[in-house]
Amino acid sequence: MHIDRLERYWIIAVGVVLGAFGAAIVASVVVFGVRLPSPVGRIDPAKIKESEFATPGLTQDGDHTYTLRVVAKMWKFDVGSKEPQPTIKIPAGSRLKIIATSLDVTHGFYVEQHDVNVMLLPGQISQVEVTFNKPGVFHIICHEYCGPGHQAMVAAIEVNEGN
Amino acid sequence: MQHTKALTITPELTFPKVGFLTSEQWIVGSHVLTGLMALLIGIFLGPFQVFRRAPALKWAIPVFSYYYQALTVHGVMNALFFTTFFIVGFSYFTVMRSLKRNMWSTKLVWAAYVLMLVGLLLVVYALVTNQANVLYTFYPSLIAHPAFYLGLVLLVVGTWLVTANLFLTYMLWRKENPQEHLPLAVFATLTNFVLWCVASFGVAIEVLFMLLPLSLGLISHTDPQAGRALFWFFGHPLVYFWLLPAYTSWYAMLPKQANSRIFSDPLARVAFILLMIFSIPVGVHHMFTDPGVSAVMKGIQTVFTFVVAIPSLLTAFNVGAMLERAGRNRGAKGPFDWMWKQDWRNPVIAAQISAMILFITGGISGIMNASLTLNIALHNTSWIPAHFHQTLGGAVTLTFMGICYWLIPMIRGRGLYSANVALWQVHTWSIGMMIFGYTYGAAGLLGVPRRTDLGAAPYINELAVPYLNASVIGGVLLLISGILFFVNIFGTLFFSKAPLTEEAPIDTYVESKSPLWMEKWGLWLSIVAILCVIAWVPVFLEVFDFTNGFQTPGYNPNGGIYKP
Ligand code: HEM
Ligand SMILES: [Cu+2]
Ligand SMILES: [Cu+2]
Repeated sequence: MHIDRLERYWIIAVGVVLGAFGAAIVASVVVFGVRLPSPVGRIDPAKIKESEFATPGLTQDGDHTYTLRVVAKMWKFDVGSKEPQPTIKIPAGSRLKIIATSLDVTHGFYVEQHDVNVMLLPGQISQVEVTFNKPGVFHIICHEYCGPGHQAMVAAIEVNEGN
Repeated sequence: MQHTKALTITPELTFPKVGFLTSEQWIVGSHVLTGLMALLIGIFLGPFQVFRRAPALKWAIPVFSYYYQALTVHGVMNALFFTTFFIVGFSYFTVMRSLKRNMWSTKLVWAAYVLMLVGLLLVVYALVTNQANVLYTFYPSLIAHPAFYLGLVLLVVGTWLVTANLFLTYMLWRKENPQEHLPLAVFATLTNFVLWCVASFGVAIEVLFMLLPLSLGLISHTDPQAGRALFWFFGHPLVYFWLLPAYTSWYAMLPKQANSRIFSDPLARVAFILLMIFSIPVGVHHMFTDPGVSAVMKGIQTVFTFVVAIPSLLTAFNVGAMLERAGRNRGAKGPFDWMWKQDWRNPVIAAQISAMILFITGGISGIMNASLTLNIALHNTSWIPAHFHQTLGGAVTLTFMGICYWLIPMIRGRGLYSANVALWQVHTWSIGMMIFGYTYGAAGLLGVPRRTDLGAAPYINELAVPYLNASVIGGVLLLISGILFFVNIFGTLFFSKAPLTEEAPIDTYVESKSPLWMEKWGLWLSIVAILCVIAWVPVFLEVFDFTNGFQTPGYNPNGGIYKP
């Protein structure tokens, strides 16, 4: 099979560029420590009340380290807050471990301006870790369609200055 | 036989009107026009989604309170029914014309058509009666009315019959012409239906064993993570099923239309083979943020996704070189002037080149989506609709529109209603899609979610407001473009007085000697099977809960546990 000279150069260039992209991905994982959601366990949605998700909300584990347990359901995030827009408050510089699941249908969990983007599925536990350095209010948005109330499914993380 | 001979010697301008060939006109026409009817239902909801999501305009459409019903209609009609019907009709045309014979069985053609049409009607029923607001991905544990799933099953079973018919036609031809070189367009069509058939097993299993029985009340539980894996086994090859007919037109038809020649026929075939094989082991790139799939499998499928980018980049070179030749024939001398020295006055050519331009950003944004860790910044934001309106809404749909500008006149035996209207349509479409892509892409990077009725949302992303408002310009241009398209289609069908001038841009012979080993379908399928074992079996072992089975009940999209 004959391959034109210019086309051969093009194929080599394509290989080099894709290889460079691949190297950048490897670097993002190895050097910069970006992590994708990975399996941490299953949970029977009927047994959420008897599990670690029985009382969703924020717990402090140490200096500037917290765990947030979330149960998503049609159409709100239960983060242990009773406010109309459920909000948790943490000081700047906090490391937050988010452990979440869904009670009913597929939901999304996206935090504005931070690398938190994970699906919440009934039957599965999702876990993400993230540090909040910048003060401000960042919405937690459900970004997977979950029924007619989907667009109202929003919570917030309030990051305060100082301690 | 008189009519066959006429077709061989002089390229007929229109569909021959005698004997079984009359049915050729009907076969192609009915499929393509049914597809366009689905597009007519789906397309005009798009601009209103844009308006509804723009803070400046959301109050202007308070009646649009059926956002998710409309979005399901938009996705299902455009992406599932328009594409499938159009592609089947176009593939019949390509195969019959190139091989100069009728389909293996005309009865089978019509049986498949009726199945798919009944499927369409069932789905429309479920959607219109507000019982299937599950979007075109219908993820469990949201459960729709059984008619929705049944309709999809009929659509898929119909396409299996189409595949059988196409292959039997090809095998008959091969038996009679053992040494002849298979026209590229037919080769491409066959690869497309192979990948479609392999892919459709994923969705068939999902619908037949998880969704339809639950919807009918035969079982009571499902597993959303397993459902997503089965869906995306199908979902990624699905996008190639849309794309390959556009490539077929660029490789095998545009050279004739642009008065050029294909640059490399064998490498085009290699590209189609690679697309057929490597579109299968990559679907996990839609599940990078899923909790139930391991990072290792996500990494492995990322590698394959990069491999499946290669044939598209080969296509860029091959088609680009063909267009350079076309430009040189029109007097281009410099290194770049061939790009604009094309026949931009011809809407068929303008549509296809504009489609390619949209595919540049579509392809680059696609490689970004596939880049594992980068996906965290993009997944389910409005970046994603920005991406696939450059690829599916842009490259594929605009190419199909360009095809309509010669195919609909042929079906009707009259000239195109208005080439000027067609040119305006092409340019408003490409500029509209570019604006849509830019504004939605930027808004997505700032955190605007997709699939969300922002007009009714209680929060607002101040940073993204200017982009969402600017997207309205794209929406208006696309609305105009959609109207112009259908004006031309209905004009050609009912009002055109012009005589037909364009002939079918079909190759019936092949100059270059592409090796016959390329038609070793069994070999390709074996490679696909091996790749499935490497890339998919571990994923299914992860997502299925073999000890507890299904544990999640079905839910009605409008709230509450699903009751059949
Ligand atoms: C008139 C031009 C069009 C406009 C203005 C438009 C606009 C939109 C918008 C704004 C969305 C996202 C809505 C959201 O995420 O909430 C969307 C989704 C979508 N569009 Fe279009 N669209 C157009 C044409 C098309 C065409 C021609 C196709 C395919 C052939 C298409 C296929 C889709 C699909 C598959 C979705 C995803 C639906 C979902 O997320 O479930 N669109 N469109
Ligand atoms: Cu939601
Ligand atoms: Cu994909």
